Amino acid sequence: MEREEALARIAEIQRVMERATRYTLLPGGAAVAGGGLVLIGCAVSYGMLQSLDFAEMLRLSVAQQVAFCLLWLAIGVAGIAIEFVVTTRAARREGLSTGGRSTRAALVSLSPSVLVAMLLTYKFLVPLEPRTEEVQYIVPLWMMLYGVGVFSLGQFSIRPPRLLGLVFIVAGALALLHFQEYGVVTAALSFGLLHILFGLYVIAMRRRGAP
Amino acid sequence: MNQPVRPDDFDAVIHERVRLAIVAALAATPEMGFTELKAALAVTDGNLSAHARALEEAGYIAVRKTFRERKPHTALRLTRSGREAFVRYLDALRRIVEQGAGPGPTTR
Repeated sequence: MEREEALARIAEIQRVMERATRYTLLPGGAAVAGGGLVLIGCAVSYGMLQSLDFAEMLRLSVAQQVAFCLLWLAIGVAGIAIEFVVTTRAARREGLSTGGRSTRAALVSLSPSVLVAMLLTYKFLVPLEPRTEEVQYIVPLWMMLYGVGVFSLGQFSIRPPRLLGLVFIVAGALALLHFQEYGVVTAALSFGLLHILFGLYVIAMRRRGAP
Repeated sequence: MNQPVRPDDFDAVIHERVRLAIVAALAATPEMGFTELKAALAVTDGNLSAHARALEEAGYIAVRKTFRERKPHTALRLTRSGREAFVRYLDALRRIVEQGAGPGPTTR
């Protein structure tokens, strides 16, 4: 065997191993449904707050504040449940393992940043007198931390999730620096519209036969 | 110092391209489903079945057949001897790259 053939074989082995470890169970339908839920949540939030600023929740009664938090908790839980069901069904359809490396990759990538986001949200909301500015940090922080998680997940996957993660990080940074008082809009545009566009892109990509 | 590459260093079972790809894919993951592996390698059912059988007969992979929701599911994983053969094969390739050229594989 010549040196060139050995090099070509090594390159082929690398390609196969990379392809085998990709996380390709991208649930396009779940992203569209999740984005739709967020848009509904934003519309309901606007109705409750009569403002685009999430910090206006501090003016609500305690009961309304609890209802407001439960609304977003329910949206988060529903989003995760939809993603789980859609991903599991897609995996079964394609004969892939759902409890194996794909699930582990998603959990390992997303859990740390989501846990940090939850902790910061708790820290900003729980004090007896929460500060307006800290409540306004919540949406940009969720955008950036979610972006970090999705970008990490993208390392096990194909290119689109990495791009989605980067867009979330950049959009979150812009929201933090310039649009803090427009949390309802930034949440609708990012977690809502961006997810829907991403989901539609993944569905179109699958229909074209891409991996 | 590197030892010279001997013909025995190239295992004919995994030297074949599709079989090498199967072993490489399984070396990167704990286990893969038949459909998942077929998609990753872009091969046909028949091609993958034939080469997987050759690897199984050599003891390099283990095949587990189960049912999921009444549908048959085939999972493949690399055995210890399969992993050792893959490592030996990679080592032989590395030595060829460092030394310039080496012998072809021996047949089993």
